[in-house]
Order: sequence, then structure tokens, then C-alpha cells
Amino acid sequence: MRPNAAPAIEITSLNKVYGRTTALHELNLVVQPGEVFGFLGPNGAGKTTTVKILLGLVRPTGGEARIFGLPCTDPSARRLVGYLPENFRFQEWLTGTELLELHADLADMSSAERALRIPEVLRLVGLEDRASERIRTYSKGMLQRIGLAQAIVHNPQLVLLDEPTSALDPIGRREVRDLIRSLSARGMTVFLNSHLLSEVEMVCDRVAIIDRGRVVQSGRMDDLVGGEPELSISLDHVDTDALRLLLQFGEVLAYDAATVRLGVADTSVAAVIADVLPRAGYRVYTLVPVQRSLEDVFISLVERGEP
Amino acid sequence: MRKTLRIARLTLKEAMSRRLIPVGILVSLIYLVLFAVAYNFAQDRGAQAITGQRSRVLVGIGMASLTLSGLYIVNLLSGFLALFLSVGAISAEVDSGTLQAVLARPLRRSQFLLGRWLAYALMITVYVSVMASLVLVIASLLGNYVAPDPPRAIGLMVLAALFLLTLSLLGSTFLSTMTNGAVCFTLFALGWLSGVIEVLGDVQKNDALVSLGTTIAILVPADQLWRSASYYVQSASILAASNTLGAAMPILANAPPTTFLVLWGMLYPLALLGSAVYVFAQRDL
Repeated sequence: MRPNAAPAIEITSLNKVYGRTTALHELNLVVQPGEVFGFLGPNGAGKTTTVKILLGLVRPTGGEARIFGLPCTDPSARRLVGYLPENFRFQEWLTGTELLELHADLADMSSAERALRIPEVLRLVGLEDRASERIRTYSKGMLQRIGLAQAIVHNPQLVLLDEPTSALDPIGRREVRDLIRSLSARGMTVFLNSHLLSEVEMVCDRVAIIDRGRVVQSGRMDDLVGGEPELSISLDHVDTDALRLLLQFGEVLAYDAATVRLGVADTSVAAVIADVLPRAGYRVYTLVPVQRSLEDVFISLVERGEP
Repeated sequence: MRKTLRIARLTLKEAMSRRLIPVGILVSLIYLVLFAVAYNFAQDRGAQAITGQRSRVLVGIGMASLTLSGLYIVNLLSGFLALFLSVGAISAEVDSGTLQAVLARPLRRSQFLLGRWLAYALMITVYVSVMASLVLVIASLLGNYVAPDPPRAIGLMVLAALFLLTLSLLGSTFLSTMTNGAVCFTLFALGWLSGVIEVLGDVQKNDALVSLGTTIAILVPADQLWRSASYYVQSASILAASNTLGAAMPILANAPPTTFLVLWGMLYPLALLGSAVYVFAQRDL
């Protein structure tokens, strides 16, 4: 079987129990080749545990995880995978080039391939000038870049990035987003672990939201954040007549003494509403279309409070 | 095998980059120079003191003691070095997070562990062999001291150091670095005590004491291996002297090692290494 005929990641009924704590509970997940997949959840939800199981670093209590059809306990599955650990540290006494040499060698690249590929990757992450310096002299942002470089040095088919932008400033984040997009454009599958929702929203095709070890929502990004268009209307006062009037244009999702959230078929009805309400004697202060953000989805799904 | 050697190379490079090897060579040279100077002074004064047969024997014993002490210190240092090298070989890598990225490669945990062991074992073997040989060369050049069988002695000293190395490598697969250090140094000290207990039991003709010492020596054979090694580097005069005393000193043996001890010294580290591979493979990282 060609490895890329199978899903890039296939997780079936995965369980992980640490002592009395259930880290993962019957987790199911499929990521297709070529996708940029966002794996979201609050801290401690089980994101890193899932990634570590995929890499064979943690043994599942039950269930199965496969990478391009190969069981994740098989070391040869890891030839196809690049990994940027969360809070990673590398052998700081190596130079940037030496670190990439090590990882490319362990990933079974020949020395000829390494000689071509390593300068290329260093250029890609913008570290070509500092490659001969020891990693202990690198700044946080440079560490993140060399981390990304080692994750992609062997041209993997799948990269697992665990919080890749958490240490970066806004410019660095943007560069990482661009890098993720360019990897995706070359057909690489990207699995992005993050709690930075806006980052995920900007790059991912599909997401799964995980909370306390279970997937609570998954789907295409457009379906999750798009949904029904909404209008947010603020008035001088809201009464039953106002609500009755607005019901002609859509569904009242929520209201209080001065605002109404209205689900509509098309936000262009805003112009009509702006005309009708003043005629009925209401003062309209604002009337704005609202798009549900990933954050709204996330907050509505993920329970707050300590378990 | 290729990947095991790659990890071994990385480990050696680390020892170079962190200046363990260069600084280690420097302090070892200082030790040898001081040893040679002391040996030279003692030899001069000893030669002046020789007035008859009796004083010749006493001076001979004095110089032999100095040689054996020089070797004993090499043995102690190699034990410390073995423990320090591997006390955090796995645990410190897990804590710092460097291991996760390396093991996310197509690399078996056994390859990583064996690669590290190989590099440390190489360093320890070279250290013991070179240092012990140089101590004996100094003794031979400055004092005409003739050690009967240096290769066997060095072989047993290497086994003692490899045992300690593998013991602490095993500990580092499941204990924190600090806990492992405490455990290993306690066992190291216990091994040393076993020699004292055995000699005392011998003198008192106390069987219970002897079997206690022997049991400890089987579990922690480092000191037993050193004492056996000492047999092969004691000159005829000092062996004769300790035989007339009727008992060995706690740090020296007056009989060659049993076949059992030599086999145990070779198989025990291998068993520990096998256990380390097994325990490390089970662990969540």
C-alpha cells in the first residue's frame, strides 16, 4: 500500500489514563493528506498527549493511532513525520547546522541530500546567517525557527506543530503562518496544536475542539465559524412590539433591555430594518452584522470551571 | 547499529562541547604529575634510609603502598566519573525536553540508550586504562616497581567502573537525576563497606559477617572487583608481607579473583543494561 493512500492521521477510540486522571477518552479523529488541521482545546485538554501518542512517546491505554496507515508504535512511521515539541529544548551545545544534520541523519537522509536540503531549510526560516553559531546563543524567536527547521528538514509528509507560535511576537507569528501555508501548498499535511484561536482561524481548513480528553466539535472551519449570519441591533428600548417587528426579518437569538441579536437569512435586510424601526418609534443606535468567531464557538463548547 | 553509533557520536561530541573531555584530561594530568613528584621524593628519601635487609623490605613495602594508593585513587575517580556521567543520562534529557524531539525520529529507544552507554563505556575504559597504565609506568620508571600482571588488573578495574556506569544508567531510566544520584552513591559506599565487613569477618572468624559481606559484594561488586585487581599489581614483597600478617587490608586482596567473580563482573552489567533497555521502553515521555 502506498503510504499516502491512507489518511495522514487516523485515531480510533484512543484512551489514555494516568493513574486516576483520564487524559483521553474514546478519542476519534481523521486527518486527510494535504489538510491544515487545527487541534484546539484549553490547557490540559489532552492535545499534547495525543501528539505524543502519535509519535510513540506515550503509550495509549487503549485504542489505536495510525500515521499514513502505519501503527504509531512503528518507528518507520516517524520517517514521514516532523515534530515541533511544545516548550522544546534542543542540544544547546550544537550549532544550528549541526542540529539539522543530526535530525536529518536520524530521519535517514543521505549525506548528499542533507548537503542540499539543510541550507535550503535554513534560508526558509531565515537563519542562514546564524547557522554556524551555537543554539545557546539564540533568542526565543530564533529557537522557534530552528525548531520549525528541524521539523521540516527531511521533507516530511506530515508535520505536527505543538504551539508553534506561542513564543513569537506578532511578526514572527505572521511568518510562521506564511510558512504553514507554503508547506500546505507543497502538499504537506499540517497538524497544528494550539490554544491561540485567531492563529488557527487564519490557517486551518478543518479543526477539532477537544475538552477533557474528548472531541466536542469538529468540522470545516467555514462551517464552524460561518453559520447563520447575525445582526446585532441596539435600540433605546426593547419591548414585545419591537421583537414582534423584528421577527418578520429573522429569528431572535437573544435580547436584553437595549439590544437584540437577530439571526437572518441575509445581512442585507439591515437596510430595511434601519428604515422600519425608526418609523415604529424606536431609536436605533447601532445595527451591525456579526460573524461568529472561532472564539465564540470555542467558548460556547468548552466548559469552564475546574473538573 | 548505525543509529546507535550516531547517538554514541553525539554523546562524545557533547562531552567535548561541554568541556568534560578536555578539562578531564587536564585534571588527570595534574594528578599524574603530583603523583610522580611525590613518588620521586619518597623514593629519594627511602633510598637514603636503606641500611640493611630489613629496612630494604620496609622501604619496598612503602613504595608498593604508594603505587597501590595511586591505583586505588584512579579506581575511586573512575567510579565517580562513571556515576556522574550516567546519573542523568536519560532523566536529565527527559526533564530538559531534548529527548522528545530526538525520539520522535525513526529511532528505537534501545538504540538511544545503547548509543549513550557505548559512548560512556568508551570514555570510562580509556580513562581507567590510560590512568592505571601511567601510574604503573611512573612507579616502574621512578622506583623500579614491578607489577606482576597489569592487563588483568586493568581489566578488572574497567569491569568495576562499567558496573557502576550501567547501574546508574538503569536508575536514570526511571528515577529523577537527584534520586538516582543518592541511590547510586549509597550503593557505591555500601560496596566499599562490603570489603571492610568481609575482612573483619575473616579476622574474627565470624561466618555471619563474612556471608553478609559476600552478599553485598555480589549485589554491588565494584569494590570486590577492585580488590581482585589489586592482587595482580602487588609486588611479591608486599604480598608476602600481607600473607605473614595473616589478613588482607580492606582495600587489597591477597588472592586472585574466583572465576565466579570474573564471570559475574562481566554478566551483571549486561543484565543491568538489558533491564535499562526494558524499563526505558515501557516509559511515557
